[in-house]
Amino acid sequence: MTQQPPTPLWTNDTSEARMTGTWRSAMPNYKNLPSPCRGACPVGGRIAEWIREIELGDYKKAWTILADNNPFPSIAGRICHHPCETDCNRNQLDETVGICNLERFVGDLALKENWSFPAPTVSRDTSIAVVGGGPAGLSACYQLRRLGFKVSLYEYQKQLGGLLRYGIPAYRLEKKILDGEIQRIIDMGVDVHLNAEVGSAEALKELHEKHDAVYLATGASRSKNLPGLDYSQSWVMDSADFLAETNAEMACDLGKDLVVIGGGSAAMDVARTARRLGRNVTVLTLEPEDKLPAHEVEVVEAKEEEITFVSGAMMQSVEVNGEQITLKCIRVEFLQGEARGQFTINPIPGSEFELVTNGVIPSIGQDADLSRWQDLLNSEGPVISTDKQWQTSTPGIFAGGDVASMDRFVTQAIGMGKEAAFAIARQLAPVSNETSSPDDPMVPYSVINTSYHSTLRRHLAANSEVEARLQTFDEVQQPLSHDEAVAEASRCFSCGTCILCDNCYLYCPDMAIIKLEDGYEVKDDYCKGCGLCVAECPTGSIAMQEEK
Amino acid sequence: MEQINYTDEGQFFSGHVACAGCVEAVSLRVILNTVGPDAVAVVPPSCTAVICGGYPFSSVKIPVYHTTLESGAASATGVKRALVKKGKPDTTVLCLAGDGGTYDIGLQALSSAAERNEDILYICFDNEGYMNTGGQKSSSTPVNAVTGSTPAGKSTKKKNMIEILAAHRIPYVATASPSDLNDMAAKVKKAQGMKGTKVIIILIPCLPGWGVADNSAVKIARMAVESGVFPLFEIEGGLDYTMNYSSKNGSVKEYLSVQKRFRHLNEDQISSIENDVDEDWQRIADKAGV
Ligand SMILES: Cc1cc2nc3c(=O)[nH]c(=O)nc-3n(C[C@H](O)[C@H](O)[C@H](O)COP(=O)(O)OP(=O)(O)OC[C@H]3O[C@@H](n4cnc5c(N)ncnc54)[C@H](O)[C@@H]3O)c2cc1C
Ligand SMILES: Cc1ncc(C[n+]2csc(CCOP(=O)(O)OP(=O)(O)O)c2C)c(N)n1
Ligand code: SF4
Ligand code: SF4
Ligand code: SF4
Ligand SMILES: [Mg+2]
Repeated sequence: MTQQPPTPLWTNDTSEARMTGTWRSAMPNYKNLPSPCRGACPVGGRIAEWIREIELGDYKKAWTILADNNPFPSIAGRICHHPCETDCNRNQLDETVGICNLERFVGDLALKENWSFPAPTVSRDTSIAVVGGGPAGLSACYQLRRLGFKVSLYEYQKQLGGLLRYGIPAYRLEKKILDGEIQRIIDMGVDVHLNAEVGSAEALKELHEKHDAVYLATGASRSKNLPGLDYSQSWVMDSADFLAETNAEMACDLGKDLVVIGGGSAAMDVARTARRLGRNVTVLTLEPEDKLPAHEVEVVEAKEEEITFVSGAMMQSVEVNGEQITLKCIRVEFLQGEARGQFTINPIPGSEFELVTNGVIPSIGQDADLSRWQDLLNSEGPVISTDKQWQTSTPGIFAGGDVASMDRFVTQAIGMGKEAAFAIARQLAPVSNETSSPDDPMVPYSVINTSYHSTLRRHLAANSEVEARLQTFDEVQQPLSHDEAVAEASRCFSCGTCILCDNCYLYCPDMAIIKLEDGYEVKDDYCKGCGLCVAECPTGSIAMQEEK
Repeated sequence: MEQINYTDEGQFFSGHVACAGCVEAVSLRVILNTVGPDAVAVVPPSCTAVICGGYPFSSVKIPVYHTTLESGAASATGVKRALVKKGKPDTTVLCLAGDGGTYDIGLQALSSAAERNEDILYICFDNEGYMNTGGQKSSSTPVNAVTGSTPAGKSTKKKNMIEILAAHRIPYVATASPSDLNDMAAKVKKAQGMKGTKVIIILIPCLPGWGVADNSAVKIARMAVESGVFPLFEIEGGLDYTMNYSSKNGSVKEYLSVQKRFRHLNEDQISSIENDVDEDWQRIADKAGV
């Protein structure tokens, strides 16, 4: 019997006829979730997005994204308390991304290049009065103008800026920067009234009658008084006045040796300002040194400038002998309370001591003057009470910033101004403004594939030399160089922000991801639900989602 | 971040039947798209054979010849010589085999082809066992690993196939990993441009065979590279060593501990494996002059 040769088998179609997607129980979902830095940012800035633009070299786009939530990147990049950096995912690998320094880099470039905000695309007849030209008021002006509303700004002082101008010293924030970023907002068409106090409930009511809504952002500029100190004496000067006068370059006639009382940020500003005026400065604080309310870096820098700290003690009485002022002090036990700013102190018997000086600058905090609005606006403790939309007890009058909140930071004020502007807009006109749902979870560190990120150390902005610092009011913190900024930007994980790297697309074993013009799409015919695309995403921008 | 830079030219199709998350499929995608359309594949029985085929469908655009487990390299030799005779000397002949088909059952065919320096590009998908048949040991299975046929852990060490091949003094031998697709594509491209026998051994963490999660194969391959368990290197002409990833900063212990097949290891076994890794690494590093 002859054997037949085997018939060869030829395939006649591609495997695409097989729908292997039926194996799946979960499918990847492209979802740009908020980064934790954004969650912590008081203005809700799209940090991952603008940092990515720095890395790509499109600085103008970076600035545009930044300015969407904050018209003051140059200012915030210098003095923001940057809670974003505390929450940055990169802390869990090595050190935070220098978000604040990068913000300054972009902000400074915008000022240098004279980039301006586009004119509003719509124009409405509705008009809003903003009272107070500090960061809260100006942020509201900016957002309201962008939405096309008419905006009138009433400011008591002869210049805009609030505490940015009259509180924060020039060695931390150059006035030129402040002027530049304010002018850009005014140029959008804000009707500014300077030397225009709205000083009573009556005046506020009148203003409300002339406008469709009012935003009150008068800050908290009344200094708390230290009991037992006679403020009328020539050797005592209130800290707010001291800072306002030095900021306005007026001469200071306090003596050579000064004691600053208080351990907060403002007290550090007072002490360091006095040093620059050639004074010998001692800071007296109730809190022990490790519990000072000021940021650690402020204390470190103050010490570098040879400021003496006497911590955990208080003044009990004063003895005046001509130029010589003797503060009778005692050591205290300091017990932190439950709430912020709450504490009890127990003087320690037998620990009395004296501080001899020529002048005293108390700096123990500021209050908002609420009594003037009493008949019109309800208050809650030390601030004006508002609902979640920042509306006061009088409909149509909104409030924010230091006058309505104890979150007393510049970017908090900017964020509040933005939120109030949107709330006012929603009430007065059918405007659409996107706000990411607060329920969206933040991208956790665990979903970042760190093997795609370099192990670069942080690029810290340098400070100027101590000796040079004490000669002038020039800025202490120096900018990052261009190369440093770009390298620092490359350290960002871009948490939750797809960088179009193609990892998901090229790692899919099943060719189940297709590239679109500006993103990707999963083909459900073929996705087997393995999750490799998610595992190899460097930014945590995709997640698996169970299917029924 | 370094961008993965090969382009998908449509040489490998969806609908193949690799396990969900299999990085052999990821590697095939890189290889087929890098080699391009002017090529023929020769495939002995293995996961690759299953992935490429499934009569009457093919997931591979170029022609594929399914051969026997003993004869991968011999069949590739025949296909190459036939193509040359037919006036197509530039057509690349790829042999895509498993570790069983390379270290064990196909070894004599490969050794003979290498000795004759046949002009083939031979890729070994090393998943450290006979995996498409349910997970038995091969001579590539590492010491102590549990497989279907070594339930108490394999008693002998992984065969050093790379240096066996180098001893043939063939133009090119290299290792590659699905955790570095750029390196893989570059090696395939480089080998394709050379005449004679070229072999690339690619580490393929097998999801069911090694007992690891569906989404983890790239991560595990990365750990193998970073811990020095699977160094990435090239040997040209049998003597000229180059290391492509010259730092050893990952933990061997961690690499072992994420795999079910090593779950039973005691401290002594772990440290003995660590010693082997260090020695092997040092020997290669010395030869590469690192
Ligand atoms: C010394 C000092 C240093 C600080 N440093 C920092 C820092 O480094 N970083 C940080 O984040 N925060 C800092 N802060 C806090 C920060 O400055 C404030 O939280 C922020 O300025 C509050 O903004 P605002 O717009 O609510 O108020 P303000 O900045 O106080 O502005 C209020 C404005 O309203 C005007 N106004 C008041 N009453 C009236 C009225 N009746 N009619 C019309 N106008 C009126 C005022 O003249 C002022 O211009 C500092 C504060 C001080 C005191
Ligand atoms: C001579 C011979 N023995 C046994 C088999 C059965 N067989 C088919 S594939 C295979 C395992 C091959 O293992 P490997 O080459 O490592 O490929 P993998 O399945 O792991 O991809 C075996 C034993 C065969 N086809 N031929
Ligand atoms: S790594 Fe970048 S995106 Fe992620 S939290 Fe830090 S700054 Fe934000
Ligand atoms: S890698 Fe591919 S198959 Fe796996 S889940 Fe992602 S899209 Fe689906
Ligand atoms: S892997 Fe890359 S391209 Fe895919 S979602 Fe993540 S960042 Fe975007
Ligand atoms: Mg195998």
